[in-house]
Amino acid sequence: MNKGISRREFLRSSTALAAGAAGANLMPLTALAQDGLPFEVAPEAMNPLGLESGANVEGVFFEGGFGRSYIDNAADIFRALHPENEMSVEGIQQVSEILRPRFIAGNPPDVIDNSGAFNIPMDSLVADDQLADLGLLMAAPSLDTAGKTFGETLFPSSQLDGVFDGRQLYLNVAYTVSGIWHSQSLFEEMGWEYPRTWAGMLDLCETIKTAGIAPWTYQGKFPQYMVFGCLMHLVHKTGGMDSIKAIDNLVEDIWKSDEVLQAVSMMHQLAANEYILPGTEGLTHTESQAEWLQGNAAFIPCGTWLENEMRELTPEGFKMVIKPVPGPDESSYESLVAWPGEPYIVPKNAANVVGGMEFMRCMLSKANAQFFAKEISAIMPVFGGSEGVELSSALTSALQAAEAAKGGFNYLSRGWYSDLWTAVKNATGELLTNRIRPEQFAETVQAAADEVKADGDIPKYTHE
Amino acid sequence: MSININRALAAFTKKKYHIIIPFTMPSLALFLVFVVYPYAQAMYFSLTKWRGLTPKPTYIGLANFEKLLGDAFFWNALKHNLIYLVSIPLITIVIALYLAFLLTHGRARFRKFYRITFFFPQVMSLVAIGVLWSFIYHPTIGILSSIAGFFGAPEPIAWLGNPDLALGAVGAVVIWQAVGFFVVLFIAGMDSIPASYYEAATIDGATRWDLFWKITLPLLWDTIRTALVFLAISATNMFAITQTMTQGGPNRSTDVLSTYVYERAFLSGKFGYATAVAVAMFLLAFTLSLLTMLATRRESVEY
Repeated sequence: MNKGISRREFLRSSTALAAGAAGANLMPLTALAQDGLPFEVAPEAMNPLGLESGANVEGVFFEGGFGRSYIDNAADIFRALHPENEMSVEGIQQVSEILRPRFIAGNPPDVIDNSGAFNIPMDSLVADDQLADLGLLMAAPSLDTAGKTFGETLFPSSQLDGVFDGRQLYLNVAYTVSGIWHSQSLFEEMGWEYPRTWAGMLDLCETIKTAGIAPWTYQGKFPQYMVFGCLMHLVHKTGGMDSIKAIDNLVEDIWKSDEVLQAVSMMHQLAANEYILPGTEGLTHTESQAEWLQGNAAFIPCGTWLENEMRELTPEGFKMVIKPVPGPDESSYESLVAWPGEPYIVPKNAANVVGGMEFMRCMLSKANAQFFAKEISAIMPVFGGSEGVELSSALTSALQAAEAAKGGFNYLSRGWYSDLWTAVKNATGELLTNRIRPEQFAETVQAAADEVKADGDIPKYTHE
Repeated sequence: MSININRALAAFTKKKYHIIIPFTMPSLALFLVFVVYPYAQAMYFSLTKWRGLTPKPTYIGLANFEKLLGDAFFWNALKHNLIYLVSIPLITIVIALYLAFLLTHGRARFRKFYRITFFFPQVMSLVAIGVLWSFIYHPTIGILSSIAGFFGAPEPIAWLGNPDLALGAVGAVVIWQAVGFFVVLFIAGMDSIPASYYEAATIDGATRWDLFWKITLPLLWDTIRTALVFLAISATNMFAITQTMTQGGPNRSTDVLSTYVYERAFLSGKFGYATAVAVAMFLLAFTLSLLTMLATRRESVEY
């Protein structure tokens, strides 16, 4: 899965859509309801789900790296489309703490962005049958892509992880590419070139260190950034998709296999050679990213939300770009971890399920995707989402990397076995501070994987 | 006459419940609804499997507690609570007694100023203190690292990033925050000890050391006992400060029972199991305050 979408496909779809829109212009439009809408809506796409007028929609959203402007923008589209219905937008951080009582009381909000470090585990929501089946929404006409259903306007496979037993239970609104970031301006100034192999990476690290800059930093207190931003890429490069799936499927002793151990050792060389900014382990994610922006470190792992998250601290002329993690040889250079993220849900017991779904049609509309690309510099998995938008260096590099990687790959057990990935995170922190060796890393993590496998209370899934 | 008084007393005793009951009912009702009921409910949840999303937990008996006994992360968190439990009250009380004695008997100028300054951390919220100290502990721009660098530390010290230092670093913040309160408490206690005792002892040739051990400490014992109970209870909690500064990390080196409860409940969605940990935590705090009260039960000196 996770074929994703390339930039070329973006453009191709954009042209086709532009032609479609031109055709639509010839048709008589229901002018009455078009007031205030930033785009034209075909009559059958005005209210396909049958939202009752006066039924208000309550939205509660995780407000994190992407901010809330794109949510407000979607709500504005919703309000313009349904002037008779009120839409409320509330931004929160502690999703789990704040919304659990609402679920228990049986009156959850109509639509939720269930993201961030404090989200409600999706597996719990699915197991307790709390999520509305979004099938009707997927089959409804798209808001601003004429002639397509809502489902057809989304990148193929971008919503697969939200399908449980054939039912679409959540929708990802962001398409995230992860990898290693550096400042193109700094590299040009110093005459450095981004390496295409891991050996080249280590050589360059030596050069950078000699120049008086720490080669690497990472989000110290949150070592999971090194897991999704470096380690899992290396595993894919040493063991291919087989190793990734074996990890997801809890195959016996996979963490002790040669391929995984090689990847762990490669990452460990950063610590063993003291290429990591001293004190990194004591920094938070934003603190380490600030160090990187100040030029105290050359490389940092992260996802595509980095640019927006650090916008206010980014120095003038700092041209940030994302690149794949180099592998043992050049042939594996391109691959990277990319995943659909920022999952939105419509609770089954919400007062206005239809309203929640109708909001999602506005959220994942082409117009809002373009807003997302332009204002947030991030990608929504919507065709034509970057059409007519001038892209930043960060987003351009992310799209290029994703295209070269043919959409990238993803490891799925992150959403299945949180205990396993907590163990990986903690062991990664120990490894990068030279407190354990790669062999001990493998022992520790394998033990955690065995424990998950033996725990009958944790539902098991398979990465096909 | 005496018969009349006895009769009146008997009548009062008989009637007193007519007065007591209506007056205690409201507070008793509040106590039942807001204290007893939630506790009972928590006890029940600890016997269930519950994801915290529906109102219907599944009863599983003592399985959670059985699992708890074999859970290395639980024992790890408990160990940190016990370390705090021994160190925080001891260090806080020693420092507070020392400062209070100096401010009461030393010739310190600006006594009031010091009192207020020491008390100041007490009026700040723990979360604000956690954030503040995270800056002080910041490896590159933090003041502690600058000081360490001045004294020749070759590399910035990641106080909160190093599993060997983090627990102590978090504990130190709690001590810093608590000392002021107990200084003020002890000063109040010391001020109420009549000066004539000290004068008499000084005339008999007692040193300041003698004064402290033979007069101040025995007469302050009640206050110290209260301080011990307070500090012991806060050492079994430690949630706010740990959550703001380290979230239990790095690698669970600052995990305490309360943060572990939070992680199991809100991040892993295992509310039944988390409640079992919370019940264990409650038992610990309860036993501890009982033990502290018993162990420190001495005849209090009246004066």
